[in-house]
Amino acid sequence: MAIEQTARPAAQRPARPRQRREREEELLVWPDLLFPEFICAVLFTITFILLSVFIDAPLLNRANPDITPNPSKAPWYFLNLQELLLHMDKAWAGVILPTIAIIGLIMVPYLDRDTEGRGVWFGTKNAVKIFGFGAIYASAINILLILFDAGKFEAITRWVPGLQPIRETQLDGSEVLVNKGLLSVKDFEGRFAWPEDLRNIPVPFNQQVCDIYFKDLHLWCNFHLNLPGIMSGQVIPLSLIFGFTVAMIYTVFMLGWLRTRRDLMLVLFTGFFFTFLVLTVTGSFFRGPGQELVPPWGIVVDEG
Amino acid sequence: MAVEQPGRPRNTRERFQILGDLIYDKMFHNFVWQSIFRSGYPNTPRNQMLAVATNVFLHLHPTRIHRTHVKITHTYCLGGLTFFMFLMLTVTGVLLMFYYVPSVDRAYNDIQAIQTDVRFGQLMRNVHRWTAHGMVIFVFLHMFRVFYTGAYKAPREFNWVVGVILLVLTLLLSFTGYLLPWDQLALWAITVGHGIGGSAPYLGDETQLVLFGGFEIGQNALIRFYTLHVLALPLAAAIFMAVHFWRIRRDGGMARPL
Ligand code: HEM
Repeated sequence: MAIEQTARPAAQRPARPRQRREREEELLVWPDLLFPEFICAVLFTITFILLSVFIDAPLLNRANPDITPNPSKAPWYFLNLQELLLHMDKAWAGVILPTIAIIGLIMVPYLDRDTEGRGVWFGTKNAVKIFGFGAIYASAINILLILFDAGKFEAITRWVPGLQPIRETQLDGSEVLVNKGLLSVKDFEGRFAWPEDLRNIPVPFNQQVCDIYFKDLHLWCNFHLNLPGIMSGQVIPLSLIFGFTVAMIYTVFMLGWLRTRRDLMLVLFTGFFFTFLVLTVTGSFFRGPGQELVPPWGIVVDEG
Repeated sequence: MAVEQPGRPRNTRERFQILGDLIYDKMFHNFVWQSIFRSGYPNTPRNQMLAVATNVFLHLHPTRIHRTHVKITHTYCLGGLTFFMFLMLTVTGVLLMFYYVPSVDRAYNDIQAIQTDVRFGQLMRNVHRWTAHGMVIFVFLHMFRVFYTGAYKAPREFNWVVGVILLVLTLLLSFTGYLLPWDQLALWAITVGHGIGGSAPYLGDETQLVLFGGFEIGQNALIRFYTLHVLALPLAAAIFMAVHFWRIRRDGGMARPL
């Protein structure tokens, strides 16, 4: 009697299909892995040697600190940072955001603790859709922002109240005032008639106090807040980054595609990856002398 | 009744076969060969597993592997290719080191000499340069593949972290190498990086002093970059790669669905 009662629940469990034994699914590393690896190695050796036979590594003139090539560019994998530097405060673009990006990458597996979608390409239900959306969204937003900072939307921002005209030099040397719209986010600092006080806000522990107590903290002592500068270099760009990221997640959520933490990671990583890509490509192929936005065939390096 | 004479060739085909067997026998069944390879070609599953498990170069691999991971479309061999690029860079890098002296007076001339006076020097420099770019591209693609196959999930979290460290090391290796030819491209690219380093909040000057040895790119920067490039960073990368590969084995091979 007792035996029957304990036995029943087990019997009522739905019958699971027999798991195939692990061993049956496995192949031998020799030859099934080693041979493809070997062929891969041979193919790539040949490819790179052929490449090297036909294309020489660049060697320009001897380094000369007195001659600055225009544009001078970092190695291509840092051009994303160089591109970012054009649009915002240099400490954020060059150091803080990259640090955050690396810490963020490290945190990926600790934030996404689902095992859903492990070990298969695009393993969750909506992964491919999320990838497609993230790729297009991030690319489009970045391209639009880059175009904005290149002054391409100048004509449609002329209405902005309080915008100061720009002084332009004519061919004959005379100067005229021209009404122009916003040419970049940096215009926020320079094109409005901010009261001078806002550009020079003393902070606590300034000057006198510093001279007495913190002689070595000269950075802090000479520090005056330039509010418009902070707005255009830090607050606006960072809000844009944050805002567009949140908007991306929200859109995917409203589309009903965001089901797990894995999906959330997919949104963030895809957005990050394509931002990285667009910035790198822009920095590499679309920045000419003076870091002006030019088409790839317009890039002429002035060797100085 | 004519009994077939064993070993006596009846036609040319058989003659060649016997010759082939003889050469094979002489090549592989002698005490020199057998002192290097303790057994013959492993042609049974048992011997093939033993061959992988007991060979110092192959034993990073498991002896068996799940069939989905052998499919080229699962990894595209990207991690393996990154590692392979690293090996090619080590070989060509050593050859370049024979001729290169990291001094601002000599560096540029040495590179020119490698290209014009050293036999296969230009080729070595080209291979080094292009595989360096290749390694950076492959490491990004490898990260891309690991992410989209969800391979960082438990229990592989830490191997992803090791991977991120390897990514940073790869970028630093490439960046430090960029300065060494001491031409205009090198100087000004590193100057841009110098500027970026200098923009670190509160630590800008310190960053420049530590990484570049000064406030402009000169001999100090060159010797620092050289030492990092040929010694410190490759050593660190090799150690982290060893950990990376070891962890793949310890974490139960490559990631699979539950
Ligand atoms: C120098 C750089 C690197 C080398 C030589 C390397 C090498 C490898 C190799 C050979 C594998 C075996 C599977 C495969 O080929 O895909 C692998 C797997 C793996 N790599 Fe890397 N890797 C590097 C960088 C990275 C980076 C940047 C990441 C991530 C941020 C990463 C994370 C992983 C993870 C999590 C696995 C396990 C994959 C799985 O279980 O399917 N690695 N790596």
